[in-house]
Amino acid sequence: MSDQAVVVTKDLTKRYGDFVALDSLSISLERGHILGFIGPNGAGKTTTIKILVGLSRPTSGTATIDGADCVTESRRIKQLVGFMPDTFGSYDNMRVREYLDFFGAAFKIPRPERRTRIEECLDITGSSYMKDRYVEALSHGMKQRVAIARTLLHDPKVLILDEPANGLDPQARIEMRHILLRLAQMGKTLIVTSHILPELSRICDTVAIVSQGKLRAFGTLEQIMRQIRQQRMMEVQLLSEAQVDNAADVLRGQLDAGSSVTPSPAERLVRFTTDKTDEDLARLLAALTKQGVTILQYREMEHDLEDAFLSVTAQMHGGSGDRPG
Amino acid sequence: MFNHPIIRREFIGMLRTRRAFGVLCALVAAMVALVLVRWPSGAVVDLQGAAARQVLRVFGYGMTASLMLLSPIFPATSIVKEKVQGTLALLLNSPLHPWSIVLGKLVGAVGFILLMLIMSLPAAAALFAMGGVDLTGQLPALYLVLLMLSLMYATLGLLVSSFAQTTESALRITYGLVLLLGVISLIPHQFLQNQAWVGDAVRQAADWVRCASPLPAMMAVMGDLSITSGGLAEVGGQVQRFVILAGLSSLLCTGWCAWRMNQRLFDRSREAGKITDDRSTAARAYRRVMYLWFFDPQRRSGMIGRWTNPVLIKEQRCRRFGRGNWMMRLIGLCLIVSLLLMLASALGSAQKSVGAMGGIMVVLQASLILLITPSLSGGLIAAEIESRGWQLLQMTPLRAFTIVTGKLLSVLVTLALVLLATLPAYAALIFIDPAQWIVAVQVIATLALLALLALLVSAAISSLFPSTAAASATSYALLMLLCAGTLLFWLGEDAPFSHSTVENALRLNPLAAALRLIDAPGFARYELLPWNWLFTAAMCVVCLIVLVTRVWRLTRPR
Repeated sequence: MSDQAVVVTKDLTKRYGDFVALDSLSISLERGHILGFIGPNGAGKTTTIKILVGLSRPTSGTATIDGADCVTESRRIKQLVGFMPDTFGSYDNMRVREYLDFFGAAFKIPRPERRTRIEECLDITGSSYMKDRYVEALSHGMKQRVAIARTLLHDPKVLILDEPANGLDPQARIEMRHILLRLAQMGKTLIVTSHILPELSRICDTVAIVSQGKLRAFGTLEQIMRQIRQQRMMEVQLLSEAQVDNAADVLRGQLDAGSSVTPSPAERLVRFTTDKTDEDLARLLAALTKQGVTILQYREMEHDLEDAFLSVTAQMHGGSGDRPG
Repeated sequence: MFNHPIIRREFIGMLRTRRAFGVLCALVAAMVALVLVRWPSGAVVDLQGAAARQVLRVFGYGMTASLMLLSPIFPATSIVKEKVQGTLALLLNSPLHPWSIVLGKLVGAVGFILLMLIMSLPAAAALFAMGGVDLTGQLPALYLVLLMLSLMYATLGLLVSSFAQTTESALRITYGLVLLLGVISLIPHQFLQNQAWVGDAVRQAADWVRCASPLPAMMAVMGDLSITSGGLAEVGGQVQRFVILAGLSSLLCTGWCAWRMNQRLFDRSREAGKITDDRSTAARAYRRVMYLWFFDPQRRSGMIGRWTNPVLIKEQRCRRFGRGNWMMRLIGLCLIVSLLLMLASALGSAQKSVGAMGGIMVVLQASLILLITPSLSGGLIAAEIESRGWQLLQMTPLRAFTIVTGKLLSVLVTLALVLLATLPAYAALIFIDPAQWIVAVQVIATLALLALLALLVSAAISSLFPSTAAASATSYALLMLLCAGTLLFWLGEDAPFSHSTVENALRLNPLAAALRLIDAPGFARYELLPWNWLFTAAMCVVCLIVLVTRVWRLTRPR
């Protein structure tokens, strides 16, 4: 683990009776990095986050943030971490500035400094224009911005954001991405959970994939891609739907047992995974042509975070990990 | 009828809950106990039927008080809850007609009350068997009044629910209106009936106004004319008048509510968040004068001070009635009522005793405390948990002690200001009889204890419930049980309850203690102090311990 590591968990485990919500999770995240924390619903993401912010106690293992233990040094953790839960937590009848003023005062930020800090945070999140609006009257996108401003108030080193892009329109999502990148440039360390993987892949430099409480993959996006690239994913576009079954049969005859072939008649496509070399793939193309299959496109598909996620979770379930056709 | 989707969900769904089963069982058990206590034993038969009539009184007044509190609870939260959860939009987009939606909800709420009344019929039959209760006149009139009052308050709650934006405000407004219609409507007639300068038309109008309350009708049914020789039920026709008024009110509320049941309910633009500081000079000057600057709700508020508890300020700011302008309005209203009472005391002192006048003041103040306090403190913790704000509070360095004190102080400040505004009425008492100042101080101390108890009970309950509506309703129920429930023992003195039983029950009730101090009629025979102060203080300590422990636990990692 690096000396620069800000967030470190070691064999973090949380059990609720017989149910294991989190099973020996070990990760470390360096300063200024953005960690994309992904996994299906009920994978253990929120449990991990709750332990990191001091809202939950682990059954075993340790978690530290900037050297502070998340269990025993909860007061220091509160100063080090800015947490944005998946719900806004609004108060009725309060204006945005009053709302931020309350949280600033709760963090004991002196009054003159607090005034400046509120303006700064509203500015960073592009929400200065809504400071006099009532919190409950804000749109979802506006609330997300105010929520980030709230987490920034006490200038935490680490920001933990639970589904910040959830429910946002495309424009708001782009703006949210810019805000998060700006925060990383400011030297903040970010842990972001999201189900919108293409969005996450654009901002994260590190990814952790969890499923059923276990860490399935962890590293930079490139490292994870390298892990799943052991199998190449190919796509054959055919001229007509009638040729799909024929092409699939030819491919199954030519490929090894470990490869998977997925025909998609509606798209006039056949996808397959293989570990063959370029030369072998050229021979495969020739075999298809020889069998009378008319091919429009024959190409290798690029892997992205969604593929990585599907691949990792499919390994666990014993499936192919292919995108649904 | 039971195939109607809303009736199925509201009524049948409610019947399936354990709570409904518990309420019905408790009601039947109470009825059985009341009848058994006075059932003739041995060879002596009560030819006058006094025992049955006495039990009927406890039953009638008990049911009236219970239904005044219970019948509006579910309707008051019914529509607003659906609005907040987003299911009302789905209902309005369904082929169900607005009338069908409103009537479905009404049948759901009133159906349960009707079931309660049906469950009480065997006890009423037993009273008839004991003799002394009229089957053709008294019992039907009693059930008619109870049914109409349930209908009246249920439709009122439903209408308020269609206007309210939160369940908490719906409950607060509904109970405010229940107090207004049930108790405050009695006051004009009480003061005007014997004034020579009042014309017949005004007196008649005041008489109709008081008939909006079910109490005169119930007193007429019970034949309690002697108790109310002061004037509550000396004129006939109260039952008819109440039935007419309750029927008209129910029709009006149901119609209005159905008329509101359309997409216009959601057709609201987001509040722009206007600020006085950004307005024109003329507009700023106008608002500064009108709101005395400090109380302008659209003034840009100052930052929270270094030594101020941030939770206290947050609570005041996020509560609509916590804002300066509303506080001033509430205080102003209390001051006006208090001054009117002072005037009435001065004018009425010739006809009424100081005790009777003081009794009305005490009842009004206690009603104000019991109405305001649970609505303010029922959501102290529950609302935070409900809105997920608690998680955010947990993430701040605020200690449990700071959170508790901030939240309690926010209600205490409001209560103290409101109570202070009602104090001038005591000046009239002291003016009439200067020796009364010690009594006045003791009464104020007792009412302050009641306020503290109401606050701590509601706050402790709030920390135990996940929703504000449930916490507020439970707080109201518990406090009413303490302050109105124990008075039922007083109504049943000598039959079925002995003097010592009544005295012990009243020792739990701070309202009864205050009434005893001020020498209100009917309370002079009881020794309630210092027992009541000790009991109230002990209850306060217990509630405080529960609250602090619960908040401390809630702030811990789980």
